[in-house]
Parts: sequence; structure tokens; C-alpha cells
Amino acid sequence: MSVASDIHKLLDETVRRERGWLISSLVSKFGPAKVELAEDVAQDAIVKALATWPYKGVPNNPRAWLRRVAGNAALDRVRRSAREFGVDDDWDFATEDHDVITPSLSDPELDLMVLCCDPAIEPKDQLFLALKTVCGSTAAETAALFFMTEDALSQRLARAKRKLKAQSGELARFPTRFALNARLPQLLKVIYLMFAWGFLPRRGDHLFREDICREALRLSDGLFAATEGEAAGHHALHALLLFQMARLPARISLDGQLVTLERQDRTLWDQDMIFDGVQHLEAAKSSDKLTRYHLEAGIASMHAQAPEWAQTDWASISRLYALLNARAPSLSVLVNWAVSLMMHGDLNGAEDALQVAGELAGAEALPTYHLARAKLADLKDDSASALAAREQAKSCQISAPVAEHIERELGLTD
Amino acid sequence: MAKFVLMLPHAPDRYTKLGEAEFMDLMKDYIGWVEEMSAKGKFEGGEKLLDEGGKIVTNTSGSIEVHDGPFAEAAEILGGYMVINAEDYDEAVEIARSHPHMKHNETIIIRQTDASADE
Repeated sequence: MSVASDIHKLLDETVRRERGWLISSLVSKFGPAKVELAEDVAQDAIVKALATWPYKGVPNNPRAWLRRVAGNAALDRVRRSAREFGVDDDWDFATEDHDVITPSLSDPELDLMVLCCDPAIEPKDQLFLALKTVCGSTAAETAALFFMTEDALSQRLARAKRKLKAQSGELARFPTRFALNARLPQLLKVIYLMFAWGFLPRRGDHLFREDICREALRLSDGLFAATEGEAAGHHALHALLLFQMARLPARISLDGQLVTLERQDRTLWDQDMIFDGVQHLEAAKSSDKLTRYHLEAGIASMHAQAPEWAQTDWASISRLYALLNARAPSLSVLVNWAVSLMMHGDLNGAEDALQVAGELAGAEALPTYHLARAKLADLKDDSASALAAREQAKSCQISAPVAEHIERELGLTD
Repeated sequence: MAKFVLMLPHAPDRYTKLGEAEFMDLMKDYIGWVEEMSAKGKFEGGEKLLDEGGKIVTNTSGSIEVHDGPFAEAAEILGGYMVINAEDYDEAVEIARSHPHMKHNETIIIRQTDASADE
């Protein structure tokens, strides 16, 4: 790793983490009607950092720097209109004990997540809002995660914030336990999407963002503490995150290249995490509702416990994908289902699944779709189609290391 | 080892029209470069100048006039300056070549500081 790439990683992690922390903490101080203000203050601090650090270098403690700058900016606004905010103008943002002022879940990030999942806001917009504010993703990253344009996303975000502003009563701020329980499925979805974003970023120069995956896991843990795992599927989701997280160290080679599941060194997998995952999957069995997380965690557990790629239980995995496709059909489910069918020797089934996938919006832009087609063509000894599919994969808009991986698959770089 | 000042001009609207993600990517390049040069002992320091404001004070045949910025009509404004250590102009130019400013903007002006009376 060069100095420059270390710095890129540090900046990405700091900015993401601090954006979420700053917004969550400011909202817990000023209330849900001030989400926009919190975002502005956080954003201004980040822009200031990015504009001045090029001339000074990164400060010794970038986190403290950002908190000080954002704290001062917030204080500035408070002083200008203290009455509007209804807070004292001598509070110390950076050192304040946020637990004291946050009565519900005792974690500002979780609290903000609950706020964003207000039923007055459209379910999909709740997710956009939560990812953008709590998880600290940028508009570009959030848009890419949902295959949307930035313009379309910002319109929906603006609408969501207007709704949130209208809901600024005490109940909106501290939902009752009953209201909180109603929001749990959405909260799980936010955690799931956040993890997916970290696991497979759709833009930038990262193969994956371990910091984001860890944060998703932390939020999931925090939600357990607050709800005693009452949400159907929470144990299954947690198991899924643990199984995926366990494999991260093997997903990148020493020279920073993507290593697919097939070629991973399985001794690098974190066995403690897999063990925890198995425990949570056991606990998930007592749930009275079968969720998509159960199915996905089941698939992930089979990968995590297979001694090698060829000895994976492809028959069971393809059955689970069939179930998953029946209840939560999506492009990536179809693509993965097709791969499991191929591995199981069912080439016709794989072809059918890929054909259905190809008719969905976004298929052309998904590199794994083209790579699965290439794999199928390989198995049918159709090298011309395989090459054409890999070329198409290359032209998708993806993060740089994934592009490199496809180049390598094409035999262009080594 | 001599000191050289790198002046970094840019078009007035260079950064205002950028999206958040583009701005971040650009600044990451700059910060990465500065850290790399610091690690090599080549970077001395620098200052970013405020984009807004600015004054020009002129003496026109004995009477002093003050003009306000910003100078939007200017083709380029000075964004800031950095001070680097180099043996000579050749090395300073070599360092400037690797500067992300050359990738994201057009011009770097290099001037050596006059340290002849320092010792």
C-alpha cells in the first residue's frame, strides 16, 4: 500500500463515519425537524476539511478536528437563533455525553435510524433517508446502491425530509415501544442495505469497505440490546452479516485484487464469526416467521461451512435460491440462483434463470449478470459468447477493483 | 536544499460546479500527494486562500484606491500556495509534474525563495 492509497482509505472511512455521527448527534440534540440543518453543518465541516487539508496535510486527529469544526458551526447557528432551537447556547458539542439526552435506544445513530423509518414517509424513502443520514453515504453512493440517478434520489430525499419535518412532535421523536416494534422490519432493511453497500461498493476505488460492514454489524448488535431480538428475522440477518464478514479477509489478495469465493483461501476465514453466525442461525429457527434473511443466512452458512468450492452443497443452495426468488425476486437473486444451478449441473435451469434476469431493468448494468452468462457459455464450450459477455461486464459502471478483476478474467492484465 | 513556492491557480468556477463525490475524489488526490511529499521530507507547508473576498490597493498618482474582490472576470484565481524543499529548479519541476494540480487544473507557478542572506 502506498501512502496515497492509505490516505484515501483513511479519508473515506473518516468522512463516512463522522458524517453519520455528526448528523445523528446533532439531530438528537435539535430534534427531527432539524435533519437538514444537521446535514448542512456536517457537510460544511467535511467540505472545509477537504478544502484545507490539501495545504496542511491531515491533522493528527481528523475525527476531533471534524467534531470541533462542526460543533463550532452548530454553535454559531444556535447563537444566531437560540430561541428557535430551544437549547442553551453554552453546550459543548464535542464532549457532551449524548446518552443522557437520548432516552430511547441510547445510541444516536440507532435513534436517527428509528426517526428516518417514520411510517409517514414512504417505505423506500425511509431507506434512502436512513442510508444518507445515519450511515453517512454520499448522494452518489446511495443512488448507485439503488441504480438511481442522483437527481431522482435528491428529489425523494427532499420529499422525505419535508414529511419528517411535519412530524416533529414528541411522539415522532421518541416513538413508543409499540411504534418502535412496527418499524423493526425497516430497521433491519437499513442494516442489511448498509452492509451490502460496504460489502460491494458500486463506485470508488474500494473492493469493499470493512468499516461500513463493521458499523452495520454494530448497529445490529445495538438493536439487539434495545429490543431483545424481537424482530422476526433479526437473528437470521445477524447470522448473515457474520457469515459474510467472516469471509472478508480472504476476499482481497495481497496486491489488492478481488478474490472470488471460488478461489478464496478458506483458512483465512474468521472461524469465531462463523461460529457466532451458526449460533444466531440456530436462534433464528425459533422465529414464527420465515424471512428472506433466513434463506440468505442459510445460503451463506453453507458457503461458510463448505471445506472447498467444489464440495459445496449446491443442491441445497439452489433450492434455497428458488425459495428466495419466489418470495423476494431480484436481479442478483436470479443471477446467484443461476450460478448455483450451473454448479449443480443444471445448465438448462441456469439458462432459464438468466433469461428472466436479462429481462429485468438494470441487468445490463450488473457485472455479475454478464459474468454468470460468461460462466454458462464456458460450460457449454461457447468461447465466443463467453468473451462477449465478459466484455459487457467490463463496460458496467463499477468500483475500480471489480473492473480490474474483470480485466483479469479477460486475460488483459496478467 | 532550497525552498520553492508552488502557486496553484484555478478557474473561478472550477470547484463550485462539482458534485460532492467529484470534489471528494479530487481533494483525496491532493491530500494523498501532500502526505506522500511530507513523508519524503519534501513538503514544508502551505495555505489555502479564501475563495471569496480579496482587495487590491493601488497608488494612482499619489492617491490610494482600494478595490474589492472577488475578481470574477479573471481567467484564474489563486487558490493557495505550498512550500516544498528541492535541490534546484529541476527537482522542483519534477515534483510539480507529479502534483495532482497538473491532473485537475492547468498551471503551477514555481518560484524559489531567496535564502541567500539567511545563514
